[in-house]
Amino acid sequence: MKITPATKASLGANPQFQLVPANRFTIEELTRAYNQTRVDYMVPMPMNVIRLTEYIHVYDVDLNYSLVALSSDQILGLGMLGIRPGRTWITRLGVLPVKRRQGVGRALMDMLLANSETLRAQVTTLEVIKNNIPAYNLFVRTGFKDVGELLVLRRPPGPPPHAPSGEPCWIERAEALALLERRRVPQSWITETGSLSNADDILGLTLDLADGSRGWLVFQQQKFRMFSVSLSRLILHTEQGDTLRLGRGLLAHLHQRYPSLDTHTENISFDDPHLPAFFEMGYLESFRRIEMYRQGAHNHRG
Amino acid sequence: MTTILVVEDLPDNAELADRVLSSQGYEVLKAADAETGLQMAVERQPDLILVDLGLPDVDGQTLVGWMRRMPEFARTPILAWTAWPEETAAKMVKAYGCNGYIRKPLTSIPQFMAQIAAYLR
Repeated sequence: MKITPATKASLGANPQFQLVPANRFTIEELTRAYNQTRVDYMVPMPMNVIRLTEYIHVYDVDLNYSLVALSSDQILGLGMLGIRPGRTWITRLGVLPVKRRQGVGRALMDMLLANSETLRAQVTTLEVIKNNIPAYNLFVRTGFKDVGELLVLRRPPGPPPHAPSGEPCWIERAEALALLERRRVPQSWITETGSLSNADDILGLTLDLADGSRGWLVFQQQKFRMFSVSLSRLILHTEQGDTLRLGRGLLAHLHQRYPSLDTHTENISFDDPHLPAFFEMGYLESFRRIEMYRQGAHNHRG
Repeated sequence: MTTILVVEDLPDNAELADRVLSSQGYEVLKAADAETGLQMAVERQPDLILVDLGLPDVDGQTLVGWMRRMPEFARTPILAWTAWPEETAAKMVKAYGCNGYIRKPLTSIPQFMAQIAAYLR
Protein backbone atom coordinates (compact mmCIF):
# COMPACT_ATOMS: atom_id res chain seq x y z
CA MET A 1 0.00 0.00 0.00
CA LYS A 2 1.23 3.48 -0.88
CA ILE A 3 0.54 6.35 1.46
CA THR A 4 1.08 9.68 -0.22
CA PRO A 5 2.94 12.34 1.79
CA ALA A 6 -0.16 14.48 1.93
CA THR A 7 -2.31 11.64 3.16
CA LYS A 8 0.29 10.59 5.69
CA ALA A 9 0.37 14.09 7.13
CA SER A 10 -3.35 13.99 7.69
CA LEU A 11 -3.54 10.76 9.60
CA GLY A 12 -4.70 11.56 13.05
CA ALA A 13 -4.88 15.27 12.23
CA ASN A 14 -8.58 15.48 13.12
CA PRO A 15 -9.65 14.06 16.48
CA GLN A 16 -13.08 13.13 15.07
CA PHE A 17 -11.93 11.06 12.12
CA GLN A 18 -8.95 10.00 10.05
CA LEU A 19 -8.39 10.07 6.33
CA VAL A 20 -6.84 6.90 5.04
CA PRO A 21 -6.07 5.69 1.51
CA ALA A 22 -8.95 3.81 -0.05
CA ASN A 23 -6.69 0.92 -1.00
CA ARG A 24 -6.84 -0.24 2.62
CA PHE A 25 -10.38 -1.41 1.93
CA THR A 26 -11.82 -4.12 -0.23
CA ILE A 27 -13.98 -3.23 -3.21
CA GLU A 28 -16.91 -4.77 -1.30
CA GLU A 29 -16.32 -2.38 1.60
CA LEU A 30 -15.94 0.61 -0.70
CA THR A 31 -19.09 -0.32 -2.62
CA ARG A 32 -21.09 -0.60 0.57
CA ALA A 33 -19.72 2.69 1.89
CA TYR A 34 -20.38 4.50 -1.39
CA ASN A 35 -23.98 3.28 -1.50
CA GLN A 36 -24.56 4.31 2.11
CA THR A 37 -23.37 7.85 1.45
CA ARG A 38 -26.01 8.32 -1.23
CA VAL A 39 -29.11 6.74 0.25
CA ASP A 40 -30.90 10.09 0.43
CA TYR A 41 -29.84 11.39 -2.99
CA MET A 42 -32.55 12.24 -5.49
CA VAL A 43 -30.50 10.30 -8.05
CA PRO A 44 -28.65 7.81 -5.84
CA MET A 45 -26.97 5.76 -8.62
CA PRO A 46 -26.06 2.82 -6.37
CA MET A 47 -23.44 0.36 -7.56
CA ASN A 48 -22.53 -3.24 -7.00
CA VAL A 49 -18.99 -4.62 -6.85
CA ILE A 50 -18.90 -5.33 -10.57
CA ARG A 51 -19.96 -1.84 -11.49
CA LEU A 52 -17.60 -0.10 -9.08
CA THR A 53 -14.70 -2.25 -10.30
CA GLU A 54 -15.53 -1.30 -13.89
CA TYR A 55 -15.88 2.36 -12.89
CA ILE A 56 -12.43 2.36 -11.27
CA HIS A 57 -10.91 0.79 -14.37
CA VAL A 58 -12.66 2.89 -17.02
CA TYR A 59 -12.05 6.21 -15.31
CA ASP A 60 -8.47 5.53 -14.15
CA VAL A 61 -9.39 5.90 -10.50
CA ASP A 62 -6.35 5.27 -8.30
CA LEU A 63 -7.26 3.90 -4.89
CA ASN A 64 -3.79 4.80 -3.56
CA TYR A 65 -4.74 8.45 -3.86
CA SER A 66 -8.45 8.05 -3.14
CA LEU A 67 -9.57 8.47 0.46
CA VAL A 68 -11.84 7.10 3.12
CA ALA A 69 -12.84 9.07 6.22
CA LEU A 70 -12.78 6.72 9.16
CA SER A 71 -13.88 6.99 12.79
CA SER A 72 -12.94 3.94 14.83
CA ASP A 73 -14.07 1.24 12.41
CA GLN A 74 -16.88 3.18 10.81
CA ILE A 75 -16.54 4.63 7.32
CA LEU A 76 -17.98 8.15 7.42
CA GLY A 77 -17.38 9.07 3.82
CA LEU A 78 -15.12 8.63 0.84
CA GLY A 79 -13.81 10.39 -2.22
CA MET A 80 -12.05 8.96 -5.25
CA LEU A 81 -9.37 10.40 -7.49
CA GLY A 82 -9.01 9.67 -11.20
CA ILE A 83 -5.51 10.31 -12.52
CA ARG A 84 -4.41 11.05 -16.08
CA PRO A 85 -1.27 12.85 -17.24
CA GLY A 86 -1.30 16.37 -15.80
CA ARG A 87 -4.88 16.08 -14.56
CA THR A 88 -6.96 14.62 -11.77
CA TRP A 89 -10.70 14.09 -11.38
CA ILE A 90 -12.57 13.99 -8.08
CA THR A 91 -15.47 11.56 -8.10
CA ARG A 92 -17.80 9.49 -5.90
CA LEU A 93 -17.37 11.98 -3.06
CA GLY A 94 -19.95 11.32 -0.37
CA VAL A 95 -20.54 11.43 3.36
CA LEU A 96 -23.04 9.42 5.40
CA PRO A 97 -26.19 11.51 5.86
CA VAL A 98 -25.87 11.56 9.67
CA LYS A 99 -22.21 12.62 9.50
CA ARG A 100 -22.65 15.61 7.22
CA ARG A 101 -21.92 19.22 8.27
CA GLN A 102 -19.07 18.05 10.49
CA GLY A 103 -16.18 18.85 8.17
CA VAL A 104 -15.79 15.38 6.66
CA GLY A 105 -16.52 16.44 3.08
CA ARG A 106 -14.23 19.45 3.35
CA ALA A 107 -11.40 17.34 4.79
CA LEU A 108 -11.80 14.80 1.99
CA MET A 109 -11.75 17.55 -0.62
CA ASP A 110 -8.69 19.26 0.87
CA MET A 111 -6.77 16.01 0.96
CA LEU A 112 -7.81 14.95 -2.55
CA LEU A 113 -6.56 18.33 -3.75
CA ALA A 114 -3.34 17.88 -1.77
CA ASN A 115 -2.91 14.51 -3.45
CA SER A 116 -3.50 16.20 -6.80
CA GLU A 117 -0.71 18.65 -5.97
CA THR A 118 1.56 15.76 -5.04
CA LEU A 119 0.80 14.31 -8.47
CA ARG A 120 1.64 17.74 -9.99
CA ALA A 121 -1.80 17.97 -11.58
CA GLN A 122 -2.23 21.15 -13.59
CA VAL A 123 -5.98 20.97 -13.35
CA THR A 124 -8.54 19.06 -11.29
CA THR A 125 -12.09 18.58 -12.53
CA LEU A 126 -15.29 17.18 -11.06
CA GLU A 127 -19.01 17.04 -11.71
CA VAL A 128 -21.82 17.75 -9.31
CA ILE A 129 -25.50 16.95 -9.82
CA LYS A 130 -27.37 20.16 -10.52
CA ASN A 131 -29.33 21.35 -7.47
CA ASN A 132 -27.06 19.54 -5.01
CA ILE A 133 -26.45 22.91 -3.43
CA PRO A 134 -24.39 21.80 -0.37
CA ALA A 135 -21.94 19.90 -2.57
CA TYR A 136 -21.77 22.70 -5.13
CA ASN A 137 -21.03 25.24 -2.39
CA LEU A 138 -18.30 23.01 -0.98
CA PHE A 139 -16.65 22.85 -4.38
CA VAL A 140 -16.85 26.62 -4.84
CA ARG A 141 -15.28 27.08 -1.39
CA THR A 142 -12.44 24.78 -2.37
CA GLY A 143 -11.66 26.85 -5.45
CA PHE A 144 -13.66 25.21 -8.24
CA LYS A 145 -15.29 27.19 -11.03
CA ASP A 146 -18.13 26.23 -13.38
CA VAL A 147 -17.37 24.95 -16.86
CA GLY A 148 -20.96 24.27 -17.94
CA GLU A 149 -23.89 21.92 -17.68
CA LEU A 150 -23.81 18.31 -18.85
CA LEU A 151 -26.94 16.28 -19.58
CA VAL A 152 -27.59 12.65 -18.77
CA LEU A 153 -30.06 11.21 -21.29
CA ARG A 154 -32.15 8.05 -21.57
CA ARG A 155 -34.07 6.53 -24.43
CA PRO A 156 -36.33 3.50 -24.08
CA PRO A 157 -36.02 0.73 -26.68
CA GLY A 158 -37.76 1.27 -30.00
CA PRO A 159 -37.11 2.04 -33.64
CA PRO A 160 -36.32 5.60 -34.74
CA PRO A 161 -39.32 7.84 -35.45
CA HIS A 162 -38.40 8.09 -39.11
CA ALA A 163 -36.28 6.20 -41.62
CA PRO A 164 -32.66 7.29 -41.61
CA SER A 165 -31.05 8.86 -44.64
CA GLY A 166 -27.62 8.15 -46.09
CA GLU A 167 -25.62 4.96 -46.11
CA PRO A 168 -23.85 4.23 -42.83
CA CYS A 169 -20.52 2.50 -42.58
CA TRP A 170 -20.29 0.45 -39.37
CA ILE A 171 -16.82 0.38 -37.84
CA GLU A 172 -15.02 -1.68 -35.23
CA ARG A 173 -13.32 -0.61 -32.01
CA ALA A 174 -9.89 0.45 -33.29
CA GLU A 175 -11.31 2.68 -35.98
CA ALA A 176 -13.90 4.09 -33.59
CA LEU A 177 -11.25 5.01 -31.02
CA ALA A 178 -9.13 6.62 -33.74
CA LEU A 179 -12.08 8.83 -34.67
CA LEU A 180 -12.36 10.08 -31.09
CA GLU A 181 -8.88 11.55 -31.35
CA ARG A 182 -10.16 13.97 -33.98
CA ARG A 183 -12.19 15.90 -31.48
CA ARG A 184 -10.84 19.38 -30.79
CA VAL A 185 -13.34 20.49 -28.15
CA PRO A 186 -12.29 19.71 -24.54
CA GLN A 187 -14.24 16.79 -23.12
CA SER A 188 -15.48 15.86 -19.68
CA TRP A 189 -13.49 13.08 -17.96
CA ILE A 190 -16.27 10.57 -18.69
CA THR A 191 -16.37 11.32 -22.42
CA GLU A 192 -12.61 11.64 -22.94
CA THR A 193 -10.92 9.22 -25.30
CA GLY A 194 -9.08 7.80 -22.27
CA SER A 195 -12.38 6.64 -20.75
CA LEU A 196 -13.75 5.09 -23.94
CA SER A 197 -10.48 3.35 -24.70
CA ASN A 198 -10.70 1.68 -21.26
CA ALA A 199 -14.28 0.52 -21.92
CA ASP A 200 -15.25 -2.75 -23.60
CA ASP A 201 -17.39 -3.20 -26.71
CA ILE A 202 -16.81 0.19 -28.33
CA LEU A 203 -18.13 0.44 -31.88
CA GLY A 204 -19.04 3.20 -34.30
CA LEU A 205 -20.52 4.31 -37.57
CA THR A 206 -19.68 6.96 -40.09
CA LEU A 207 -22.25 8.66 -42.28
CA ASP A 208 -22.19 10.74 -45.45
CA LEU A 209 -25.38 12.56 -46.41
CA ALA A 210 -26.42 13.63 -49.90
CA ASP A 211 -26.02 17.31 -48.95
CA GLY A 212 -22.34 16.76 -48.19
CA SER A 213 -22.71 16.55 -44.41
CA ARG A 214 -20.32 14.03 -42.95
CA GLY A 215 -19.62 12.74 -39.45
CA TRP A 216 -19.52 9.81 -37.07
CA LEU A 217 -20.98 8.29 -33.95
CA VAL A 218 -19.04 6.18 -31.43
CA PHE A 219 -20.90 4.16 -28.80
CA GLN A 220 -20.66 1.27 -26.38
CA GLN A 221 -22.81 -1.82 -26.66
CA GLN A 222 -23.11 -2.53 -22.97
CA LYS A 223 -23.45 -6.10 -21.75
CA PHE A 224 -24.94 -7.70 -18.70
CA ARG A 225 -24.18 -11.39 -18.15
CA MET A 226 -22.88 -11.55 -21.74
CA PHE A 227 -26.13 -10.22 -23.22
CA SER A 228 -26.32 -6.83 -24.94
CA VAL A 229 -28.70 -4.81 -22.84
CA SER A 230 -28.08 -1.21 -23.73
CA LEU A 231 -26.27 1.36 -25.80
CA SER A 232 -24.21 3.92 -23.95
CA ARG A 233 -21.30 6.40 -24.13
CA LEU A 234 -22.62 8.00 -27.32
CA ILE A 235 -20.22 10.50 -28.92
CA LEU A 236 -21.45 12.37 -32.01
CA HIS A 237 -19.18 14.41 -34.19
CA THR A 238 -19.82 16.41 -37.35
CA GLU A 239 -16.83 16.65 -39.66
CA GLN A 240 -18.64 19.01 -42.04
CA GLY A 241 -22.11 20.18 -42.97
CA ASP A 242 -25.44 20.33 -41.17
CA THR A 243 -24.95 19.24 -37.56
CA LEU A 244 -28.60 18.70 -36.77
CA ARG A 245 -29.36 16.72 -39.93
CA LEU A 246 -26.27 14.61 -39.43
CA GLY A 247 -27.12 14.01 -35.75
CA ARG A 248 -30.60 12.84 -36.75
CA GLY A 249 -29.14 10.52 -39.36
CA LEU A 250 -26.53 8.98 -37.07
CA LEU A 251 -28.99 8.37 -34.24
CA ALA A 252 -31.67 7.05 -36.59
CA HIS A 253 -29.23 4.52 -38.05
CA LEU A 254 -28.14 3.49 -34.57
CA HIS A 255 -31.68 2.87 -33.33
CA GLN A 256 -32.76 1.21 -36.54
CA ARG A 257 -29.94 -1.31 -36.09
CA TYR A 258 -30.58 -1.83 -32.35
CA PRO A 259 -34.33 -1.25 -31.87
CA SER A 260 -34.59 -3.53 -28.84
CA LEU A 261 -31.84 -1.87 -26.81
CA ASP A 262 -32.28 0.73 -24.11
CA THR A 263 -29.93 3.72 -24.39
CA HIS A 264 -28.36 5.87 -21.72
CA THR A 265 -25.64 8.37 -22.33
CA GLU A 266 -23.87 10.76 -20.03
CA ASN A 267 -22.34 14.21 -20.16
CA ILE A 268 -23.73 15.63 -23.37
CA SER A 269 -22.82 19.29 -23.13
CA PHE A 270 -25.75 21.70 -22.86
CA ASP A 271 -24.41 23.52 -25.92
CA ASP A 272 -23.70 20.43 -28.01
CA PRO A 273 -25.20 21.26 -31.43
CA HIS A 274 -26.39 17.64 -31.77
CA LEU A 275 -28.58 17.88 -28.66
CA PRO A 276 -31.84 18.71 -30.49
CA ALA A 277 -31.35 15.56 -32.58
CA PHE A 278 -31.28 13.47 -29.38
CA PHE A 279 -34.63 14.87 -28.29
CA GLU A 280 -36.14 14.36 -31.74
CA MET A 281 -35.12 10.70 -31.49
CA GLY A 282 -37.02 10.23 -28.23
CA TYR A 283 -34.29 10.84 -25.65
CA LEU A 284 -35.40 12.08 -22.23
CA GLU A 285 -33.34 14.18 -19.88
CA SER A 286 -32.71 12.22 -16.66
CA PHE A 287 -30.78 14.94 -14.85
CA ARG A 288 -28.01 17.49 -15.26
CA ARG A 289 -24.55 17.83 -13.84
CA ILE A 290 -22.41 20.89 -13.51
CA GLU A 291 -18.82 20.37 -14.61
CA MET A 292 -16.26 22.31 -12.55
CA TYR A 293 -12.51 22.81 -12.72
CA ARG A 294 -9.72 24.10 -10.52
CA GLN A 295 -6.24 24.97 -11.66
CA GLY A 296 -3.44 23.41 -9.67
CA ALA A 297 -0.31 25.13 -8.40
CA HIS A 298 1.60 23.38 -11.18
CA ASN A 299 -0.40 25.06 -13.91
CA HIS A 300 1.98 27.50 -15.55
CA ARG A 301 -0.31 28.53 -18.34
CA GLY A 302 -1.92 31.23 -16.24
CA MET B 1 -53.18 -14.11 -1.08
CA THR B 2 -52.21 -11.06 -3.12
CA THR B 3 -48.46 -10.98 -3.64
CA ILE B 4 -46.37 -7.83 -4.06
CA LEU B 5 -42.75 -7.89 -5.17
CA VAL B 6 -40.64 -5.01 -3.85
CA VAL B 7 -37.38 -4.50 -5.75
CA GLU B 8 -35.38 -2.10 -3.58
CA ASP B 9 -31.70 -2.11 -2.65
CA LEU B 10 -31.97 -0.01 0.51
CA PRO B 11 -32.80 -2.32 3.41
CA ASP B 12 -34.62 0.38 5.39
CA ASN B 13 -36.95 1.18 2.51
CA ALA B 14 -37.56 -2.49 1.71
CA GLU B 15 -38.28 -3.20 5.36
CA LEU B 16 -40.69 -0.29 5.62
CA ALA B 17 -42.62 -1.42 2.56
CA ASP B 18 -42.66 -4.98 3.88
CA ARG B 19 -44.06 -3.98 7.26
CA VAL B 20 -46.70 -1.67 5.85
CA LEU B 21 -47.87 -4.04 3.12
CA SER B 22 -47.74 -7.15 5.32
CA SER B 23 -49.87 -5.41 7.93
CA GLN B 24 -52.58 -5.07 5.27
CA GLY B 25 -52.52 -8.77 4.48
CA TYR B 26 -50.34 -8.76 1.38
CA GLU B 27 -47.62 -11.31 0.90
CA VAL B 28 -44.40 -9.36 0.29
CA LEU B 29 -41.41 -10.61 -1.69
CA LYS B 30 -38.20 -8.61 -1.51
CA ALA B 31 -35.31 -8.38 -3.96
CA ALA B 32 -32.29 -6.11 -3.53
CA ASP B 33 -31.23 -5.92 -7.17
CA ALA B 34 -32.69 -6.18 -10.65
CA GLU B 35 -31.41 -9.64 -11.43
CA THR B 36 -32.89 -11.13 -8.25
CA GLY B 37 -36.07 -9.17 -8.84
CA LEU B 38 -36.50 -10.53 -12.33
CA GLN B 39 -35.83 -14.07 -11.20
CA MET B 40 -38.29 -13.75 -8.32
CA ALA B 41 -40.92 -12.25 -10.60
CA VAL B 42 -40.63 -15.13 -13.05
CA GLU B 43 -40.80 -17.74 -10.29
CA ARG B 44 -43.56 -16.22 -8.17
CA GLN B 45 -45.68 -14.21 -10.67
CA PRO B 46 -46.58 -11.39 -8.23
CA ASP B 47 -49.80 -9.43 -8.55
CA LEU B 48 -47.99 -6.08 -8.38
CA ILE B 49 -44.34 -5.05 -8.65
CA LEU B 50 -42.85 -2.01 -6.93
CA VAL B 51 -39.47 -1.07 -8.45
CA ASP B 52 -36.90 1.35 -7.12
CA LEU B 53 -35.43 3.19 -10.13
CA GLY B 54 -31.93 3.26 -8.64
CA LEU B 55 -30.69 -0.32 -8.40
CA PRO B 56 -27.07 -1.41 -8.09
CA ASP B 57 -26.76 -3.85 -11.02
CA VAL B 58 -28.96 -2.34 -13.73
CA ASP B 59 -31.33 0.51 -13.07
CA GLY B 60 -35.07 0.25 -12.52
CA GLN B 61 -36.01 1.47 -16.00
CA THR B 62 -34.00 -1.31 -17.56
CA LEU B 63 -35.63 -3.88 -15.29
CA VAL B 64 -39.12 -2.62 -16.12
CA GLY B 65 -38.21 -2.71 -19.82
CA TRP B 66 -37.15 -6.35 -19.50
CA MET B 67 -40.33 -7.27 -17.69
CA ARG B 68 -42.59 -5.51 -20.17
CA ARG B 69 -41.09 -7.48 -23.01
CA MET B 70 -42.07 -10.74 -21.28
CA PRO B 71 -45.67 -11.79 -22.06
CA GLU B 72 -46.32 -12.93 -18.48
CA PHE B 73 -45.81 -9.38 -17.20
CA ALA B 74 -47.66 -7.54 -19.94
CA ARG B 75 -50.62 -6.85 -17.65
CA THR B 76 -48.95 -6.88 -14.24
CA PRO B 77 -49.13 -3.47 -12.54
CA ILE B 78 -45.57 -2.15 -12.18
CA LEU B 79 -45.01 0.96 -10.11
CA ALA B 80 -41.78 2.92 -9.93
CA TRP B 81 -40.64 3.95 -6.47
CA THR B 82 -38.46 6.99 -6.80
CA ALA B 83 -37.17 10.23 -5.31
CA TRP B 84 -36.82 11.80 -8.74
CA PRO B 85 -38.56 15.12 -9.31
CA GLU B 86 -42.21 14.73 -10.34
CA GLU B 87 -41.69 15.80 -13.93
CA THR B 88 -38.75 13.45 -14.53
CA ALA B 89 -40.46 10.57 -12.77
CA ALA B 90 -43.65 11.05 -14.78
CA LYS B 91 -41.96 11.01 -18.17
CA MET B 92 -39.62 8.14 -17.28
CA VAL B 93 -42.34 5.83 -16.00
CA LYS B 94 -44.49 6.52 -19.03
CA ALA B 95 -41.61 5.91 -21.45
CA TYR B 96 -40.60 2.64 -19.78
CA GLY B 97 -44.05 1.16 -19.34
CA CYS B 98 -44.75 1.60 -15.63
CA ASN B 99 -48.37 2.02 -14.61
CA GLY B 100 -47.45 4.82 -12.25
CA TYR B 101 -45.02 5.88 -9.55
CA ILE B 102 -44.84 6.37 -5.84
CA ARG B 103 -42.67 9.14 -4.46
CA LYS B 104 -39.91 8.65 -1.92
CA PRO B 105 -39.73 9.16 0.93
CA LEU B 106 -43.06 7.78 2.06
CA THR B 107 -44.72 10.61 3.92
CA SER B 108 -48.20 9.14 4.22
CA ILE B 109 -48.80 5.45 4.82
CA PRO B 110 -52.57 5.69 4.09
CA GLN B 111 -51.82 7.38 0.77
CA PHE B 112 -49.23 4.71 -0.08
CA MET B 113 -51.74 1.98 0.73
CA ALA B 114 -54.42 3.68 -1.33
CA GLN B 115 -52.11 3.90 -4.34
CA ILE B 116 -51.19 0.22 -4.09
CA ALA B 117 -54.83 -0.81 -3.69
CA ALA B 118 -55.86 1.30 -6.67
CA TYR B 119 -53.43 -0.47 -8.99
CA LEU B 120 -54.53 -3.89 -7.74
CA ARG B 121 -58.18 -3.33 -8.64
